[in-house]
Amino acid sequence: MDELQLLDRYLLIGALLFGIGLVGFLSRRNMIVMFLAAEMMLQGVSLSLVAWGRFHNDWGGQMLVIFILTVAACEAGIALALVLMLYHRSGKLDIAFWQTLREANQPRYVDQQLPDEPIQPEHWPSLPTAGVEPRQPVEELIHRSHV
Amino acid sequence: MSNLETLMVLVPALPLAACLITALLGAAVLKERSHWPVIAGIVGSFVCSLFLLFDVLDMVREQRGQTSVGVEHVVTLWTWADISDAYQAGGANGAPRPFDIAVTLRADPLTAVMLSMVTFISSLVAIYSVGYMRGDRGYWRFFCYVALFVFSMTMLVSVSNFALLYVFWEAVGLCSYLLIGFWYEKPSAAAAGKKAFLVTRVGDFGFAIGLFLIWTTYGTLNFHDVGADGSVITNAQPNEAATGRPQGPGLPGEVSIRGVLGQSRLVLPDQAGYVGGAVGVAICLCLLAGACGKSAQFPLHVWLPDAMEGPSPVSALIHAATMVTAGVYMFTRVTPLLVAAPEARVSVAVVGCFTALLAGIIALTQDDLKRVLAYSTISQLGYMFLGVGVGTLAGIVAGMFHLFTHAFFKSLLFLSAGSVMHAMGNTADMRRFSGLRRIMPWTCLTFLAGCLALSGVVPFAGFWSKDAILAAAHEGGAGYHETYQVLYYAGLFTALLTAIYTFRGFFLTFYGETRVPPEAGHHAHEAPPVMLVPLVILAVCALVVGAVNWEFSWPFGADALYHFLLATPSLAYAAVPHVAHEAGGLHFEVQAVSTITALTGIGIAAFLYLGDRRQVAALTRWTSSIYGLRLYQLSYGKFFFDGIYSVLVVWPLWFLALFSYWFDRWIVDGLVNLLGKLPVAVGSMLRSLQNGMVQFYALAMVLGLLVLVGTILMWPAM
Repeated sequence: MDELQLLDRYLLIGALLFGIGLVGFLSRRNMIVMFLAAEMMLQGVSLSLVAWGRFHNDWGGQMLVIFILTVAACEAGIALALVLMLYHRSGKLDIAFWQTLREANQPRYVDQQLPDEPIQPEHWPSLPTAGVEPRQPVEELIHRSHV
Repeated sequence: MSNLETLMVLVPALPLAACLITALLGAAVLKERSHWPVIAGIVGSFVCSLFLLFDVLDMVREQRGQTSVGVEHVVTLWTWADISDAYQAGGANGAPRPFDIAVTLRADPLTAVMLSMVTFISSLVAIYSVGYMRGDRGYWRFFCYVALFVFSMTMLVSVSNFALLYVFWEAVGLCSYLLIGFWYEKPSAAAAGKKAFLVTRVGDFGFAIGLFLIWTTYGTLNFHDVGADGSVITNAQPNEAATGRPQGPGLPGEVSIRGVLGQSRLVLPDQAGYVGGAVGVAICLCLLAGACGKSAQFPLHVWLPDAMEGPSPVSALIHAATMVTAGVYMFTRVTPLLVAAPEARVSVAVVGCFTALLAGIIALTQDDLKRVLAYSTISQLGYMFLGVGVGTLAGIVAGMFHLFTHAFFKSLLFLSAGSVMHAMGNTADMRRFSGLRRIMPWTCLTFLAGCLALSGVVPFAGFWSKDAILAAAHEGGAGYHETYQVLYYAGLFTALLTAIYTFRGFFLTFYGETRVPPEAGHHAHEAPPVMLVPLVILAVCALVVGAVNWEFSWPFGADALYHFLLATPSLAYAAVPHVAHEAGGLHFEVQAVSTITALTGIGIAAFLYLGDRRQVAALTRWTSSIYGLRLYQLSYGKFFFDGIYSVLVVWPLWFLALFSYWFDRWIVDGLVNLLGKLPVAVGSMLRSLQNGMVQFYALAMVLGLLVLVGTILMWPAM
C-alpha cells in the first residue's frame, strides 16, 4: 500500500468521523451526547492532521493533535461542569430547554406536542372496604431521582 | 453736540428710556406706578420737541428773505451698515457705489411740526390712560408699549434715510399690532391684531419695492447730501450747487453722494435731478401701496375698523392721530418724487378721495360708536391724501395742516368715546345707550367740540384745514384740471356725509331718553378727573388749533403754517407748481360753500335723529321705495369688503395653507418616517432568526460554511 492510498483511507475515516460528529451535534438534543459528537468531530480532524503529517513526513500535524487533545481535555472539564450546572437548574439535559438568549418578543420554540397518552380507566379489583388505607411513604413521593 | 442736536436725540431717547425702564421694572417693582416713567419720558420728549420747534422757527426767521434756502439740520449718530462697493453702476465696468445706512436724525420744519404734534397727543393720551387702564392686568405692559410706540413714531418722523424710515415704519406697525391685541385673551382682539399686521404687510411689500427702485434709480437712500469726507452738507446755495459744487461758507468740498431729497439735487433747475416717466411713476405707486397699507386707504382699509378692538387710548393715539398719518407724512416728505410723476400724483388724489367717499358712506350706518369714528378716520385720511395728491404747495401744506388738526380733534373724539365706554361697561354699541348728556355732561361737551371740528364748523380746527384742502382741489394742480374738479365735488359731498355721520353718533349717544346698558351697573358716571383734564385740553385745542395757520398781521391771511413748512428743503425747492391764487390764503367762496354743507349735514342729522318720528318714518319709506334697502345694506355691510377679501384672498391662502400642511404632514414627514421605519421592518424580519436555539445557530454556521466552500470550489478562477 503506497503512501497516497494510506492518506486517502485516513482522510476518509477522518471525514466520516467528522461527518458523524456533525450530524450528531445537529440532530441530538441531549447535551452530553452533543458534547460527545463534538469530541468526535475533533477526533476526525485530529486523524486527518496525523495523516497529513505522515504524508508530508512532518511532525507538525502530530504536534497539533497533541494540542487538540489538551484543549479537548480542558474543554471536557468545562463543558461537563456547565452541563451539570444546567442540569441542576432545570432537571433536564435537553438543549432546547435553554432558549433564554433569543431576541426579545420572539416566541419560544416549542416542541411538537406529543399526544397525551390516553388515560386508561383503571380497574382495580373491587373488594369490600376493610381496614385502613396504607400510608404512602412521604420521602418516597417527594424524592427526585438523580442520574 | 450742539444744543439743537441734543434736543434731536433727546426727543426719541426719552420715550425709549421710559420703555426700557418699564419693561425691566414694570412687572416686579413698578406695577401700579408704571405710568410715572412713561409719562415723564413722553412729557419730557414733548418739552424737547417744543424747544426744537422754537429753534427751527428761529432758523426759519433768520433765513426769511433769502432766496428759498431750506432749513435742515442733520446729525449722524453712527453708521449701521457700511458696504463700500455694493452696487456696480452700469454693469461690471461701472464705478462701485457705496451702500451705507447712516443713523441720522434731521430737524426741519416738517419734522418739528410732526414731533410736537405726536408728543403732545401722546402725553395727553398717556395721562388719560392712567384713568382708563386702571386695574388692568397688563397695566405696565400697556405703558411699555405706548412708550415704545412714541419712540418709534418720533424716530419715524425724524430719520433722514429711507432704510431707517422703513425700519421705524415697521416698528410702529409692530406697536400697533401689540396694542390692538393688547387683550390677547379676547379672540376678536387677537384676530384684529393679526389682521392689521398682515394687511399692512401687503402694503409694506410695495413700499419695500419702492425703496429698491429708489436705490437703483438714485443710488442712495439718504435724504440729505453727503460730502466726500462723510460729513452732511445741508446748506447748498442754489447757484453754486447747480454745478454740483456748493461753495457756501464753511462747507467742505464737493457733494459725493447726492441725497434723494438733498439740497444739491433739489436746486437743479427744472427737476433735472429727478427721474420721471415710467420709473418715477412706479416708485410713487409703490410708495402709495405702502402708504395705503399704513394709512388705511381704499384697497387696504379693512384693518382699521377692526383695530378698534384695542383699548380706546390706543385707538386715539395710534389709529387716529399719529401712526395712520405716517403715509401722509411720507408723501409730504417725498414731494419732489411726486411732482416728477404727475400720473402717480393724481392717483394719490383719486385713491384718497374715493376712500374718503367710501368710508363716509359706510360710517353713516355703523352701530358701534368707535367704528363710526374709525371710518371717519379713514375718510379724513382720504382727505389728506387728496390734499397731497393735488400736488400744489397749497394742497400739500393743506394735507399736512389737516393731519395736524385732525390729530387733535380725532384723538379727542376717540378719548371721549373711550370715556363713554368706560362708563357703559366697555360697550360702544349706540343702540344700547342714549341720552348720556345728563350722566356725563363734560364728556358730552368735549365730544361736541370734536364733532364740530370734524364737521368743519367755524371756527373749529377742522374748518380751516378741510377748507384748505377743498380750496386746493378746487384750484387744481398742474394738469388734470377736470379730474380735480370732480374730486372737489366728491370731497364736498364727503364733507356733507361727515357732518351727518358725526352728528348721528353724537345725537344717538348723548340725546334721546336716558338709557344705560346693564353692564354699566348702577354707577354709570362721569369720567374721573385724570381722564377729563386731557379731554378738556384737547377740546380747547380742537377749538383753537386752527389758528396756527393764521398770520397775525394785516392783511389777515391763513398761511403761517404754509410759510413755515415751505422752509422744509424738499418743499422749498420742489418746483411745485404754484397757482394763480395766493396759496394758503383765504378762499371765501369755498369756505362759504363748505360751511353751508356742514350746517346742512348737521341739520339733516338733527332732523333724522332728533326730529318728528312720523316724518322720519315717512321719509324712510319714501327713500326705501326709491332705491330699496340695498344701499343701506351695502353701507351697513361695509360694502362687503371683508367678505370679498375672504373669498379672493383669505380662502385661497387658507386652502394653500391646508394643502401645505397636508403635504408636509403626510408627504414630507411620511418620507422621513418611511426611512426611519425601514431598518425596523428589516429588523423585524431578521429577528426571528435569533431564536436562542444552539442547534439552529450551529446549523446556520454549517450552511454558511457549505456556501463558502461551495463557492470557492465552483468559482472558476479560484
